[in-house]
Amino acid sequence: MSISVLEALAHFKKPVLVLFAGLAGFVGGIWVNGTYFGDASPVQPIEFSHRIHAGENEIPCQYCHVYAARTPVAGVPSVEKCMGCHRSVAIDKPEIIKVAQYYADHEPIPWIKVYDVPDFVHFTHKRHIQAGLECRECHGPVATMDRITRQQPLRMPWCVDCHTKKEVVNGRDCWTCHK
Amino acid sequence: MSTVLEKFKKYRKPGYYDKFDYHWTMSIDLDRCTGCEACVVACQAENNLPIVGEQQFAMRREMKWIRIERYWEGEYPNIKLQFIPMLCQQCDQAPCEIACPVFATYHNQDGLNTQVYNRCIGTRTCAVYCPYEVRFFNWFTYEWDEPLEQQLNPDVTVREKGVMEKCTFCIQRIRQAKDAAKDDGRRRVRDGEVTPACVQSCPTEAMVFGDLNDPDSRVSKMARNPRGYHVLEELNTTPSIVYLKRVHTDG
Repeated sequence: MSISVLEALAHFKKPVLVLFAGLAGFVGGIWVNGTYFGDASPVQPIEFSHRIHAGENEIPCQYCHVYAARTPVAGVPSVEKCMGCHRSVAIDKPEIIKVAQYYADHEPIPWIKVYDVPDFVHFTHKRHIQAGLECRECHGPVATMDRITRQQPLRMPWCVDCHTKKEVVNGRDCWTCHK
Repeated sequence: MSTVLEKFKKYRKPGYYDKFDYHWTMSIDLDRCTGCEACVVACQAENNLPIVGEQQFAMRREMKWIRIERYWEGEYPNIKLQFIPMLCQQCDQAPCEIACPVFATYHNQDGLNTQVYNRCIGTRTCAVYCPYEVRFFNWFTYEWDEPLEQQLNPDVTVREKGVMEKCTFCIQRIRQAKDAAKDDGRRRVRDGEVTPACVQSCPTEAMVFGDLNDPDSRVSKMARNPRGYHVLEELNTTPSIVYLKRVHTDG
């Protein structure tokens, strides 16, 4: 007479299956959430590709993000700016037709902000660009990305490390960045 | 432990506070103050101060970074009314700073006694230590009814429940002035470029704001006025606000 442990465990077959299914669902859910709903790489209302614009066509960053060197906010280009080229360029592409529709409706494109700092943080693009920082030092290789993915955690240690390394004047005072 | 102690000793050493980049100072001429409370309103609008409501007001949870204190002197019919605008004195030897267990309030390089909201854990010790009673605690997360939330200042945090707050000398305006100075290629802010909301709104120009490190600034000249005094000077807090005593001419 052989004793099999499997027989004793048969009772647990169903709960274990449920557990594994749950785990698989959980992991899959994390993946789906991170890929399609994550705030680090959100799916934008229009499938805009920085790779095509900044990479292949070599449009300078500040052609569209015009305020970066002059004001705290870099600025998202207006639909008018998009249409400035796309009245004549690639007008038959489905994504461009969407842009044209927004333009015709006099509606702004509801872009989802990827690089967002909390409200208690004072951040200004102007100071960083005038200090000689390149856009890619924080935003990563944008020219190779189809969909923008956040490259940096945007957390305080990251800010402070850089301020310390570059020996920013009063760069470690709380009220330099907090407000 | 010993290094912490050494740092603390260095921090408390006399003269430590003399090496500021700026020494922001305000002078308030009590002879000119009419008690109109324009400064109070301006501060409320500039710094996102909540309206706490009647019930909270009765519980002394009012939030006013600057308030006008009234003092009645003498007996009827010879009554004299005295106004003193009271705001954070930005003490150089601040009692609140040594009280904070998490260093949420500290002295920065501009001679400002600053309060970091994110670091504050709300022990309220600083408010107890403050002899001027100018620190205010957020007992609740206050809401702004529509359309009042539209006038919130984006340069100032909307504070949440459980943090202490106080006058910052409109640090957002100081920051902005420094930013403008950098754009012009200057290292320092010129006199008169920074005006806190209260100073800006004062109709009689009783308040003057500026850098005490600069001997030619308007506020330095005011501070040398023989009428000048500090409130509760005997406590040795060395406040940054100079009051110019009111002179009664009618005997």
